[in-house]
Amino acid sequence: MNIRARLVVFGLVAALLLSTLGLKNTSAADLTDEQLARINANCLTIKGSLNQLHASDALLRVNRGQIYESMGTKLMNNFNGRLGSNGLDNKGLTAVTDSYQTALSTFRADYQTYERQLSVAIRVDCTKDAMGFHDAIEDARIKRAKVHTDVQRLHQYIDDYRLSINDFMLNFERVTGKK
Amino acid sequence: MDEHEHTPEVIAKPELMPRFRDQHRFLLLITGTILIAIIMVIVSLVMYNVSGSAQLDLSRPGYTSVSDKVDRTNEITDYSAFGPVNKDTVKEFTNLYDEQAKKAKAVDAFNGDPLNPEVLEFGDPLSSTD
Repeated sequence: MNIRARLVVFGLVAALLLSTLGLKNTSAADLTDEQLARINANCLTIKGSLNQLHASDALLRVNRGQIYESMGTKLMNNFNGRLGSNGLDNKGLTAVTDSYQTALSTFRADYQTYERQLSVAIRVDCTKDAMGFHDAIEDARIKRAKVHTDVQRLHQYIDDYRLSINDFMLNFERVTGKK
Repeated sequence: MDEHEHTPEVIAKPELMPRFRDQHRFLLLITGTILIAIIMVIVSLVMYNVSGSAQLDLSRPGYTSVSDKVDRTNEITDYSAFGPVNKDTVKEFTNLYDEQAKKAKAVDAFNGDPLNPEVLEFGDPLSSTD
């Protein structure tokens, strides 16, 4: 029984290792000789596109980031503070704000990770290491998709906060009797 | 007895040290200043990179093409954290909020797939024809 359990564990570990190696081989096998040749041939063009994307994404990060930061600090926090200082129930709004701030921190961190990965990809010499270049771009691609998910999450929290204001107003009017 | 034997050596060192320091005070000052400056520059550069400020610095080489495109017009008006809460003040806030929310959601940032191998033109030509 003990030996059987050990065999099962060994089998699981072996399967995990093989699948990991298999995945690596799959990504490497994805590229044909022709594709590698194309990377070599288009190296400068691809690098140019990457540099353009690098710059435009940085601009996007700065412009979008400013708006997202301001919404949290200048609007949400201040409105929550005003409700709190008037002794009104702001728990719902505060909860959404906290989630928004967490999502904003994730966005900042994920962008940082993505930018670093893209910089790594740009630094790879695609004429000498086409495979490594391709893998670096694939990694950056996944990280960029993550940043997009973060942006969508932030938009969702912006909507959630607006809905929470409506809920607050309904409650406020009910309590104060004002229409 | 041993302690007395060692005493002259102990006394001799402090006599030599001030003499060396006195002779090279200016050199030591300059060296110390340079060392402190180097350490502070290293620390600040590490902080600059680790904190993520580097990624927001569009004055770096490679970003000059976009550095003048930073939106400086979109200044959000602060909503005061102090004051009364009534229908009018909440309405004032919601107007401000809706305006900013519209701007924030106007751009679906980082959408698309520009790093797709097909976009970068080194994908499988056969798969693009399917």
